[in-house]
Amino acid sequence: MEMNRKLKLCFVVSGVLVALQFAAYAQSAPVAAGQDAKANTVDVKIDNFSFTPATITIRAGTTVKWTNRDDIPHTVVNDDQKFGSKALDTDESYSYTFTKPGTYPYFCSIHPKMTGKVVVQ
Amino acid sequence: MGKSDGRTPVLAAKDVIQHDHNHDGIDRRGFLKCMAWAGAGAYCVMQGGVMKSFALGGLGSKDKRDLAGELNFVQISDSHMGFSKPANPDVVVTLQAAIDKVNALPTTPEFLLHTGDISHLSKANEFDMVDQLLKSAKVKDAFFVPGEHDVLNDDGKQYRDRYGKGTQGGGWYSFDKNGVHFIGLVNVMHLKAGGLGSLGNEQMEWMENDVKHLSKSIPIIVFAHIPLWSVYPEWGWGTEDSARALGYLKKFGSVTVLNGHIHQTMQKVEGNVTFHTAMSTAFPQPKPGAAPSPGPMKVPDNELRSVLGITNVNLVQGKHALAVTDETLA
Repeated sequence: MEMNRKLKLCFVVSGVLVALQFAAYAQSAPVAAGQDAKANTVDVKIDNFSFTPATITIRAGTTVKWTNRDDIPHTVVNDDQKFGSKALDTDESYSYTFTKPGTYPYFCSIHPKMTGKVVVQ
Repeated sequence: MGKSDGRTPVLAAKDVIQHDHNHDGIDRRGFLKCMAWAGAGAYCVMQGGVMKSFALGGLGSKDKRDLAGELNFVQISDSHMGFSKPANPDVVVTLQAAIDKVNALPTTPEFLLHTGDISHLSKANEFDMVDQLLKSAKVKDAFFVPGEHDVLNDDGKQYRDRYGKGTQGGGWYSFDKNGVHFIGLVNVMHLKAGGLGSLGNEQMEWMENDVKHLSKSIPIIVFAHIPLWSVYPEWGWGTEDSARALGYLKKFGSVTVLNGHIHQTMQKVEGNVTFHTAMSTAFPQPKPGAAPSPGPMKVPDNELRSVLGITNVNLVQGKHALAVTDETLA
């Protein structure tokens, strides 16, 4: 009985500590628009021949997901060819996880006037 | 004359143009007028240096000799096979209608030029469908250049496997027909961020060589997908290095540039060069700056066919230099 209570107490304390850790993490991380602290994904919408938001700032380890809502296909291609999607038709998506800090300009290789930027901190 | 449905221009006797300002047999004002009608389905013929034009709708009654030039061909563009959205849920039907129009011409064009965006997503079944439909065209031959929608995902390999026989690099080539020199250029590959269409160094060197030894009296027709002049750079409607290409053609008395990509007709005369863009057979796009973006434009269903079309080109070699040379209107 005594052991069980001690164990329970242990678990409760651990639980609280873990919860506190999460809270601390959520408060300290710069969160970009659309970022879910738990899922670590940022959404970028492709529509009307534009990327929205055109520039995003994220932490290393974040995944960016581009979804094409336009009625014409588009691509997402890094200027320095570090990443690139195939042609995305309407409602198709492409995701890339950024592990290294840096600035990653990208564009649509079909309509090169469409440009965007991912800044990874 | 053909009946008017409010869209196809009805031409009267006064429209057979006879003014010759430059004493070279060319009526520049008439030519531009004719080119404007070409988008709505007009048939322009140069005969003895004089431009004559006829609405495609009313050609049945014309004497064939009246309509025959020395070289005639048809341009279609932007079939976007595979597209299916409100702007046009059935691009098969409209491409077939364009082919029917070609077949109904009183003089069968010798060949067909497709200025690109044959497919919508570079898919095999899309290319297959266009090839299938084109079999019903009465023309003897067909020539292609790719649009940006034809070279997705594979750097244009599939496009070249299908249409690139005898071409070089990205798919450029030239050929001669009835004394006219045709040059097919590729300006939709290796596009750079923030940029426009691009021809590239290798292609430009090839082109310089290709035309170097040609006589300046040979008429030149260049065809490429994206316009070779700056129609509207904000929407990518232009080609970065086209000035270099056009520079190689300065010596020629007659240069005609045929493009697609913008899904509407536009024309411009500059020096010895006449530029003309074709309508799409799939869907229209807005006029430059008239909408937030250059995407497919929805029009009322009963108006769709009036904004799609083909372009017919007729050239006659006479004593004078061919068709177009530069002149101010005043």
